[in-house]
Amino acid sequence: MTDAKFYEQTWDLQYKHALGETTSRFLEGLTQQKIWGRRTTDGRVLVPARSYDDQTHMPTGEWVEVGNSGTIEMFTIVYEPFKGLPVPPYALVYVLLEGADTALVGYLKGLDLKNQKDAIAALGIGTKVYVHFSKTPVGSAADYWFELSK
Amino acid sequence: MTLDNVGIIGFGQSKFVKTRIDVTFPELVREGATMALENAGISIDDVDAVVYPLAPDALIGVGNGERWVIDALGAVGKPFMRVNNGGATGMSAVLTAWTHIASGLFDVVLVAGADRVSESSSAQSVLNKMWDVGYERPVPLNTITMLALSAQRYMHLYDSDETDMAMVSVKNRYHASLNPNAHLQSTVTIEEVLASRTLAWPIKLMDACPASTGAAGLVLVSERYAKKNGLKPAWIRGLGQNSETYWMGNRVGPKAMGDHADADALAVAFQRAYDQAGITNPREQVDVAEIYAPFSSVELHVIEAAGIADKGKSPAALANGDYTLGGNGVTVNPSGGTQCTNPIAVTGLIRVGEAANQVLGLAGAHQVKGARVAIASAIGGDHQFYSTMVICSDLEEI
Amino acid sequence: MENSRKRVAVLASVGLLGNFENKKSLEEIIFDASKKVLDSLGLTIEDIDSLVLAGQDEIDGRVISIMPSTGPAGGVGKDTTLIASSSDHALIYGYLRLLAGQGKNVLVMGWAKPSESVDPDRAELMSCEPFLLRQIGMNNTIAAALQASKLVSQGLETSNSTGKLAWPLGDRDLPARGDSVYALVLAVEGSFTPGEEIAWIEDAGWTTMSYELGARDINDFSALKIAIEQISNRSPHATSKNWDAIEIAGDSEYVVRSVSREFELKSGVEINKSGALADLPTSPFVSGLARMVMAIDRIKLLPKGGNMVAGIGFNGFAGQGAAVVVFSGSKGE
Repeated sequence: MTDAKFYEQTWDLQYKHALGETTSRFLEGLTQQKIWGRRTTDGRVLVPARSYDDQTHMPTGEWVEVGNSGTIEMFTIVYEPFKGLPVPPYALVYVLLEGADTALVGYLKGLDLKNQKDAIAALGIGTKVYVHFSKTPVGSAADYWFELSK
Repeated sequence: MTLDNVGIIGFGQSKFVKTRIDVTFPELVREGATMALENAGISIDDVDAVVYPLAPDALIGVGNGERWVIDALGAVGKPFMRVNNGGATGMSAVLTAWTHIASGLFDVVLVAGADRVSESSSAQSVLNKMWDVGYERPVPLNTITMLALSAQRYMHLYDSDETDMAMVSVKNRYHASLNPNAHLQSTVTIEEVLASRTLAWPIKLMDACPASTGAAGLVLVSERYAKKNGLKPAWIRGLGQNSETYWMGNRVGPKAMGDHADADALAVAFQRAYDQAGITNPREQVDVAEIYAPFSSVELHVIEAAGIADKGKSPAALANGDYTLGGNGVTVNPSGGTQCTNPIAVTGLIRVGEAANQVLGLAGAHQVKGARVAIASAIGGDHQFYSTMVICSDLEEI
Repeated sequence: MENSRKRVAVLASVGLLGNFENKKSLEEIIFDASKKVLDSLGLTIEDIDSLVLAGQDEIDGRVISIMPSTGPAGGVGKDTTLIASSSDHALIYGYLRLLAGQGKNVLVMGWAKPSESVDPDRAELMSCEPFLLRQIGMNNTIAAALQASKLVSQGLETSNSTGKLAWPLGDRDLPARGDSVYALVLAVEGSFTPGEEIAWIEDAGWTTMSYELGARDINDFSALKIAIEQISNRSPHATSKNWDAIEIAGDSEYVVRSVSREFELKSGVEINKSGALADLPTSPFVSGLARMVMAIDRIKLLPKGGNMVAGIGFNGFAGQGAAVVVFSGSKGE
């Protein structure tokens, strides 16, 4: 019987995704150390800013600058390496910033994650954090992360 | 609305494993079709139309992969379409097949497919690209972190802990040990689950599903076909689907439509199916549930969305011996469920097939004694797309 | 059984864009099309019972297309299904849902945004099986050229389009590429005011043939023949002989020109009156749905006495699959 063979292939598909005006302006705001949201027709502030609201199916309107601090709404700490994703451990958090009605996702940095038990104890729903902006912004969602409030 | 009656007359599934190197992908798909047809006792010539489930093309490495497998399915020259509702695909495809028959245009529809998730060595990196191009892809979200976030929130809201999740794993691994087709067949203890390595806290290795390879298929028929041929199908008595916001960040805070800790949109989908089937009290009327839960934590809130427990109350019931084969109340995932076998494209289809086997008394060692009414559900996207079904051994009042 | 069923009408349809759109995201153009079709009927998303969507992951660079698109399409809180094999199939599935009694109406959307991709041809190459065809190199254009060359060898005249891209095809023979989104609202009779409909769906046929180009006769139009036969068998009045106009998304103009040779058609039938393939930019994944929308628009432009228009789409290389939806201006009996 012939040994079953393998055939290696890589999908190297390249994209240049159009982000639209709203996302572009949000990302531009990060370079100015500002977090922008957009107000929905029923008065909620969507952060990050989106040009439409999927709940009311209406365009959003007014730009609203929200605060640079807020509370953790959910978190996880990743210990498993995944091919193509960053080297663990790293913490991901969703944060409800002051004045926002939806939470913004980002890394939580500045916390020692090696000791899992201590790291988890330091984080919780309601834990206060603030936005830390990159000193060398590149205009992407990697230009900010969160750190624990002192 | 009165539903046209559609029944399930055949279900086939392979033994699920990590890797299969003896077959190409189309050959694997063919296994699913062949086993379903053999189980139904019909040939492909009897089939009027074919629905094919396949989630991301990238995992099998061929774009519009449905076009590649059509010869293997035996579907050449027949009406044929592919569904992709993410993880819910396998069940959405069954709903699509139901629709083909209920439209009155077809009597016999085959749904069959396969997956070999391990063929892509970078599945979680691929799955990161499910998220928003502008805002979320720079952050390493994947299907594990998205559910870790949900699990963490559930623990917080309902004062639950990792032991509650571990109890689900212990139950499902025990059930899977009785199911010859399951991928993970060894039993585990609570201590072993808690000691297994953390993937993304609070999800540990033994809370998580494997990446499975294998095939499955179902044959659905109209009531007139079943009567004409003297068949006794498992009947689809109700079905529903619903969708949640894409943005996980919209599922927290006081103004959220639903909380990421729960599955409120799934509860709506269950209600749609229950209304059609005439189920008013699932705790009393349902015998068995085959519900899609790739991680132990998910099963807790899916049980609650199905109305089998109040929000936050499933861990206590589980600790009390509920949900386990031979235990109290509704038996949940007697097959071992998605947590023990997850061939993405057909996982939802298997839920329906296992539910059908249960009401027909064909489930073997993991049969729930006297099961008459079963429910099935599936989840796709980032906890975003929900499918539900009620299946019964007869057409009498439930 | 079919006769007792409620009939299905098209209440509104829109097609957006055509050229490359760099100022808006894919999600934003989906939102725009959804709003526009609902606005045209004075409806909001609250009035819609369910959605059927169609998107192609590799062209748009979305790994599970239904995820980012459901929100802008209006699917939050609703039954949403994505049909991935072809946007034509999404329209047909929307039709089946209503025949099956799944709600009073459905919003159907299909799109492709090839401008998102740096190299859309490479995305097409990835739909080749990896072992052989991908090594040789295949895409929709090359497959269309193979098909056209066979048609020429059987006596079809070559076009005088210059600048041959792949013999015998020149740039005027091929469909123009562009970003596009289509949205339609279908509804069952009794759920809207009579006269509000813009077309009735008479029937639909669809099938797919062998994947291997060598395993089928790529110029025998077998998929299209079977799809039309399905319609003729179920609805003899909607057969090709009774069509007053056809809008067909051929892989090339050679396919469009072959239709009148291959099928028994009414004399004077209008074929692609909406425009040549090269003049209406779209993408192979949505070109069929685009022509179905154009077919609906043709109904009111038909010469006196005309009533029935077919929209035809293909999927896969050289017409592996075909779908036909027959529309009429009056409710057939």
